Amino acid sequence: MNEITNNKEKCGLALGELKFVEDPEIGLNVVDLGLIYQIDFDEDQKKIFCAHSLTTQFCPMGETINDGVTNVLRRTFPDFAVETIITFDPPWNSQKISEEGREFLNL
Amino acid sequence: MLTGNSNTGLAKNTSYKVVLPFYLYAGIALLIATVLTLFSTPAFLQHYFYPNTLAITHVMALGWGTMMILGACHQLVPVLIEQKLYSDALAYLSFFFAAIGIPLLIAGFYQFDFGWPAQIGAVFINAAIIFYLINMAISMAKSKKENVHAVFIFTATLWLIITTIAGLLLVYNFSYNILSKDSLSYLPLHAHLGIIGWFLLLVIGVGSRLIPMFLISKYSNNKILWRIYFLINFALISFIVFFLYFNITALYFIPLTAIAIALFLFGSYCYKSYHERIRKKVDNQVKISLLSVFMMAFPLTFLLIVICLLLFSVSNIPLILTYGFCIFFGWITAIIFGMTFKTLPFIIWNKVYHSKAGLGKTPNPKELFSDKIFLVMEISYLSGFILFAGGVLISNEIILKIAAVLLLIAAVLYNGNVWRAVTHKPKSHERNNQ
Repeated sequence: MNEITNNKEKCGLALGELKFVEDPEIGLNVVDLGLIYQIDFDEDQKKIFCAHSLTTQFCPMGETINDGVTNVLRRTFPDFAVETIITFDPPWNSQKISEEGREFLNL
Repeated sequence: MLTGNSNTGLAKNTSYKVVLPFYLYAGIALLIATVLTLFSTPAFLQHYFYPNTLAITHVMALGWGTMMILGACHQLVPVLIEQKLYSDALAYLSFFFAAIGIPLLIAGFYQFDFGWPAQIGAVFINAAIIFYLINMAISMAKSKKENVHAVFIFTATLWLIITTIAGLLLVYNFSYNILSKDSLSYLPLHAHLGIIGWFLLLVIGVGSRLIPMFLISKYSNNKILWRIYFLINFALISFIVFFLYFNITALYFIPLTAIAIALFLFGSYCYKSYHERIRKKVDNQVKISLLSVFMMAFPLTFLLIVICLLLFSVSNIPLILTYGFCIFFGWITAIIFGMTFKTLPFIIWNKVYHSKAGLGKTPNPKELFSDKIFLVMEISYLSGFILFAGGVLISNEIILKIAAVLLLIAAVLYNGNVWRAVTHKPKSHERNNQ
């Protein structure tokens, strides 16, 4: 797991739901691809902050993937406002893919 | 907590309404070109400066290749420069003027009548390219991102406008003798401005981004891309100077060598991308795109032979025709076939499923077209291409007819598959909330 969180329980729930967001080109979800870098929960302000990456910097599906992440987090935590950012620091690489992802991609 | 960063790398998607007309127009142009080819096979036994041949060449160059690339660039450039397209209206104007201008010009070629309809057609095409150039220039100027691929695309557009202005002058030269020589004399200059300046620079600029992206390859080497950029521009500028101011055939080996090195570097770039790919299974669309890179070697070889023969004052017309055929029906068509079905399904997918992202099971973009139809199209196209090139070389009309039928089948299947993707209806199963 590459992600950092301040709430392991809620993060686990979020990651489970984020498995429904796929990179349409690869057909693998963003969690197993290792694209989710951070999910933090601000209980006082009822706010979720999610930092995720893309497999390539100029991904034409970036907007859709970002919307997918936002949609899922909003749906899973309806009482929270969601803020997402796309980051390439550090850039994504194939080492971030989970075991399940590697199996799926025949790596 | 990570804070402060904006969404870097987030694509600024252009509306599908801007892009689709270009794609659909290009597909129909390919269909028309293959029908014209089928009914014009005797023309391929004649000189290349022949009405049907000129008409087919321009349907392929403008209607097919250029319209497809204009559509793709309206989508791709904003992604590369991380800046929204400056104006949808300019894109619509560009489409409108090109869509009217191209058939007017081509009808002129077909009837070998360069009166006012062809002249207006040429003016309209130039207007379309100017609108496109303005749109790209302002979009890129607003972006603070320096991007080698965008530089390729913009420079290619500058060469395109030079090509179409030269074409406009050649059309007017038929009626008003505005140039010092007849239009046929300038044909090699006009043709290579378009082939090298527009198509080659553009295909390498876009291909060097898309091929690694679709292979999920981490390979990137801007140094090599800049070398290719300078080699191609050097080749074209030196060719223009030699053509206009020197009458020494041997000098053409200089630009030819520069192009050969550039193609070799691009080939090695694609090979390294392939070698370092994460996705092991390569789909048919990327395979044919990679094949198109290899197919660039055909026209280069034919050009080398043509120049060698010219050293001995021998002009081999079938060889020159095959050279042109290998460019427009060869690598340009092959890469468009591949890239259409990598980009179009995403555009349609985004249109249909964008709002449903993450909220339900949606089909993959590749499910929006038929891979089986694509495979049959690919086989029909490649066999038609090889047969036709061979038929032109040995001047055999029966082979040309059989090959033209195969190319027509490929064009019909291509359009059928494009239509299947474009008319896709939403299919999704919403997940129950916990």
